[in-house]
Amino acid sequence: MLREILKDKKGTAKKQISRRQALKAGGISVAAGALASAIPAAAVTRYAGDLAILNVALGLEHQAIAAYDAGAKSKLLSADQLKIAVSFQTDHKRHRDALTSYIKRFGGTPVAPQSSYDFGTITSATDIVKLAQSLEDGAEGAYLANAGKLENREILNAAVPILEDEVRHNTVFKQLLGMDVTERLKY
Amino acid sequence: MKTETNLTAQNDWPKNDWPKKDRPLGTARREWIRLAGTASAGAIFYLLTGNPKRLYGQSLQGDLGILTAALYLEHEAVTAYQAGAESKLLSPGVLKVAVAFQSDHKYHRDGISGVLKSLGVEPSGPEKKYDFGHLRNETDILRLARDREHGAVQAYATLASNILTKPVLNFGANVLADEVRHLTILNSVLGVPNY
Repeated sequence: MLREILKDKKGTAKKQISRRQALKAGGISVAAGALASAIPAAAVTRYAGDLAILNVALGLEHQAIAAYDAGAKSKLLSADQLKIAVSFQTDHKRHRDALTSYIKRFGGTPVAPQSSYDFGTITSATDIVKLAQSLEDGAEGAYLANAGKLENREILNAAVPILEDEVRHNTVFKQLLGMDVTERLKY
Repeated sequence: MKTETNLTAQNDWPKNDWPKKDRPLGTARREWIRLAGTASAGAIFYLLTGNPKRLYGQSLQGDLGILTAALYLEHEAVTAYQAGAESKLLSPGVLKVAVAFQSDHKYHRDGISGVLKSLGVEPSGPEKKYDFGHLRNETDILRLARDREHGAVQAYATLASNILTKPVLNFGANVLADEVRHLTILNSVLGVPNY
């Protein structure tokens, strides 16, 4: 869903994901994930909503890891940019592992990464930074929208530092892109 | 800019107070964490009794403690940015960011105050005096702001999962995101690694 939003009609990855779009995508994915899930109902009844949210989040983490891989393999990044990409990808791998662990512990089935992701045409380091910023912005919005829906306190505890990471990543990229970092979200 | 409080800037900034991560907890954070215990106690009480009515009462009581502590931090942050703005030490670009960040903290302050009022609690005002040390240059002010934002991130992150009512949690998550954004920018300006 997010990759479709990312691509504009020309197939480039320059279109920003709006918070509204990210939330809409998250909501649709939650519904689809809940329907498609083959988890025994008795095992997950109490935290079914949490598990659906965690699987949406896990899908975003898989996508982010793949995006940073694509960026690193493009050979377009400077040494400093590559350092950031590797550091942030490491964060996302940690998130992925944590989310996978929680989903399993609560009786769910973690979603697997897609076999491929379409990140559009990447022709410059700026394209990669814009792609990464869009993904981080979408992730920040998804975590913010769903944090208050989590029922299990332990899962919420795990989600809080992930939210912190996403905001930090998004802010770093916004600075790199010369975007306004003083604008407060509407809430 | 309008003066919101009397400021004292008599003492030197503690040399060993920044950027050590293991410095002692500040008063606000100590108070915050002490109050957090109230929320936890409320949750535990509910788990033991399973009485939703009692949960409601305990939730409000617990969240009131958290909101009160959060309000303390927001008052302090608003005043710290005021001190920076009035120092005349900030360059125009930094001043613009400081004003924007102070605006965020005022938004947090007003939001928290509104919730407290809706619960029938009169929100506390700022302290009469805050000791921000001797602000000699722009870097001192940036460090002061960075230190306060760092403390706020730790406090909100620690307390988020202790918040028992959903609207308060939603608001708190957004406030946390603001604090992380502020901290990231101030780290960047001061050369503190963000990655």
